[in-house]
Amino acid sequence: MLLSPGARTRRRLAELAGRGVLFGITSVAALAVMAIIFFIARDALPFFTQVGAREFFLSTEWYPAHQPPRFGAAAIFAGSLLVTAAAVLLAVPLGLFAALCMSDVLPFGVRQILKPVIEMLAAIPSVVYGFFALTVVAPLMQNAGSWLPGQFEIASGVNALTASLILAVMALPTIVSVSEDALQAAGRELREGSYALGATRAETLFKVVVPASVSGLFSAVLLGVMRAMGETMVVWMASGNAAQIPRPWYNLLQPVRTLTATIAGDMGEADQMTGSAHYHVLFAMGLCLLLVSFACNLAGEWIVARQRKRLRGG
Amino acid sequence: MRLKLRKLMDHALTAGGYLAIGGMALFLLWVLVPVFTKGFGAYVFRGTVEHRRMMLGEFNRGDLARLRAELAEVWRAREPVYRAVAAFERELDAMPAARRKALRSAFREVREGVAVLLGPEPGVPLPALTRRLYGQTRWEQAREKAADILFEETWEYSDAGSRRVLVPRAEQFEGTALAPVFDSVERDLAAMMRPRLTVYPRFLTDRSIDAHFFGGIGPEVLGTLYLSLGAMLVAVPLGIVAAVYFQEYAKEGPSVAFLRSCVNTLAGVPSVVFGLFGLAFFINTLRVSPGKSVLAGALTLALLVLPTVIRASEEAIAAVPRAFKEGAMALGAGRFRTVATVILPAALPGILTGIVISMGRAAGETAPIIFTAAVSVGQMVKPSEVLSQPTPALSWNLYNLCTEHEAVEELRHVQFGMAATLVLIVLALNLAAILLRARVARRLKG
Repeated sequence: MLLSPGARTRRRLAELAGRGVLFGITSVAALAVMAIIFFIARDALPFFTQVGAREFFLSTEWYPAHQPPRFGAAAIFAGSLLVTAAAVLLAVPLGLFAALCMSDVLPFGVRQILKPVIEMLAAIPSVVYGFFALTVVAPLMQNAGSWLPGQFEIASGVNALTASLILAVMALPTIVSVSEDALQAAGRELREGSYALGATRAETLFKVVVPASVSGLFSAVLLGVMRAMGETMVVWMASGNAAQIPRPWYNLLQPVRTLTATIAGDMGEADQMTGSAHYHVLFAMGLCLLLVSFACNLAGEWIVARQRKRLRGG
Repeated sequence: MRLKLRKLMDHALTAGGYLAIGGMALFLLWVLVPVFTKGFGAYVFRGTVEHRRMMLGEFNRGDLARLRAELAEVWRAREPVYRAVAAFERELDAMPAARRKALRSAFREVREGVAVLLGPEPGVPLPALTRRLYGQTRWEQAREKAADILFEETWEYSDAGSRRVLVPRAEQFEGTALAPVFDSVERDLAAMMRPRLTVYPRFLTDRSIDAHFFGGIGPEVLGTLYLSLGAMLVAVPLGIVAAVYFQEYAKEGPSVAFLRSCVNTLAGVPSVVFGLFGLAFFINTLRVSPGKSVLAGALTLALLVLPTVIRASEEAIAAVPRAFKEGAMALGAGRFRTVATVILPAALPGILTGIVISMGRAAGETAPIIFTAAVSVGQMVKPSEVLSQPTPALSWNLYNLCTEHEAVEELRHVQFGMAATLVLIVLALNLAAILLRARVARRLKG
């Protein structure tokens, strides 16, 4: 080397310092999520100490503005669960079919056209979907009761079904693109081996490719669940916002209220009274959302890690 | 037979896939076509003389002399209406009490309808609200308001449900001095309003007047630009540095795995929780501003798009051929110099793609800015005020206008205009990203 020992040390020091600075900045970016947990939990805890978790999780009496206020959020949890479950039930089969089609059936050229379509579906802002639900889907839904068989009455076009429909469409792009990647990752050899044994395309896909990529498909579904559960604007605008458990519980044609919509709708009133129980209860809801999304994330990572280990193991 | 069944199943799979994909494409059309066609109506529409009067009065745009001439002609068509209203008012006073009672409220409705359609009656003191200073500025709405004058809306109830019935008011007022009003509104509406194809591109940049009754969506567009640009200003440097660290510096180990896991988790946090965090941290703890502000909103949005920026930049950096890096190192460049002069420039188009997509996401998000930056009614925020002032934004105001505004039905054109503008901004950014990516792919292919 032509460098003197001093210059070399200086260079190494600079390199170390640079690495330290980069590490610091990266940590700030990554640890933001820790700050989120901390600050949401900090503002959620006073609610649990003041009012208690029992009423929050078990009661359905949600009257935050009454005197004395009641903070029973069971119906709101049920609403979130119902809307998310319905959206996922709609989106998963459709999304998996579309992904199978994209990865194994369609010719390359068509796929190149469809990719932007899916990206556009993902790019449309959620408030526009909500606006669409309100101005186009809800009136249709309102009138649907009269011409659908069975003659059931739909009291309002904004109900759990409208919200679930739109949520399903919003979750679709995530499900399609992640599961398409998973299907692609299963590899060519596997498929060709199956075809060589005389299997049709459907058999190859369902008996070979899907089982081989099942962990990826599962994480696609998890991401779809997270997307549907965390969505705010569409459910706020299209679900009707009535804090009640539908009767019977699977009746999607009744209005419901979700956690996200409650946070968005009530915080506007509550930000004037930072520190009140009403303010803290919304953070408690946020904390619950956060914890569920963490659980989904961990489950997804665990599945992917297990799959990787299995592949490495042979 | 068995083979036939297997073949059938195969075709069923193909059909199912095509159906799913066709359904998605159709749904996209179902969303975009109404949003764009009706949104277009905010920019190009049949504007009445009242639109031109409003433009001159509020924005000082247009030709005063020509408007005067036009108003003189309009006046000729409108005069019979006002004359009939005045004559009937006198007639009403002379009527027997029972009949007067029966007609008075209907007359009041007609008179109110005329004021809504044509603007304030000449000779009366000017109303305080700007929305009442002018008549209907859009032809299709003028026709609806004219129908409100001509027909009384009643509801017929029966066991099967209620039905809307329109009763012509002309019957009620037959033989009175008010009767000519209905004739002339029906016959001369075009002469009273003089609709003309109007192109209003400045809808995009004009301030809104009296909570969007007139004017454009300039404050919202500006606010969306501030928020998304501000978010990128924070997220891009952080994101690129983190991506460089993960790709070029980090040695795989528990701490790096943990950081990666944190980034993934950040990507899964629901958007409304970002809003709560922004309120609790940036506003209530750091106190970056006394209340909601563009700054707090941009910081919150920056966190939201950070994982996307990191991932896109990582992918772009990983796609740079190893030979580039090895060449630079072989020439004696240190790691930092290699990154700064070779790897980043080569990865730049890919990084830009991620940035552009993230910016679209930031522009469209609503939930994170509700508690941190957005206000329903506001004027344009000056660049010097972004650190302390909240701002209207397209996404939030679209929500506000179509759910909480006092005249939701009458302002549909503004709502669709906002929706179309927002979608256009976001899709344009995405299109730019797709084109960029195609260029990168071509270049990498050689």
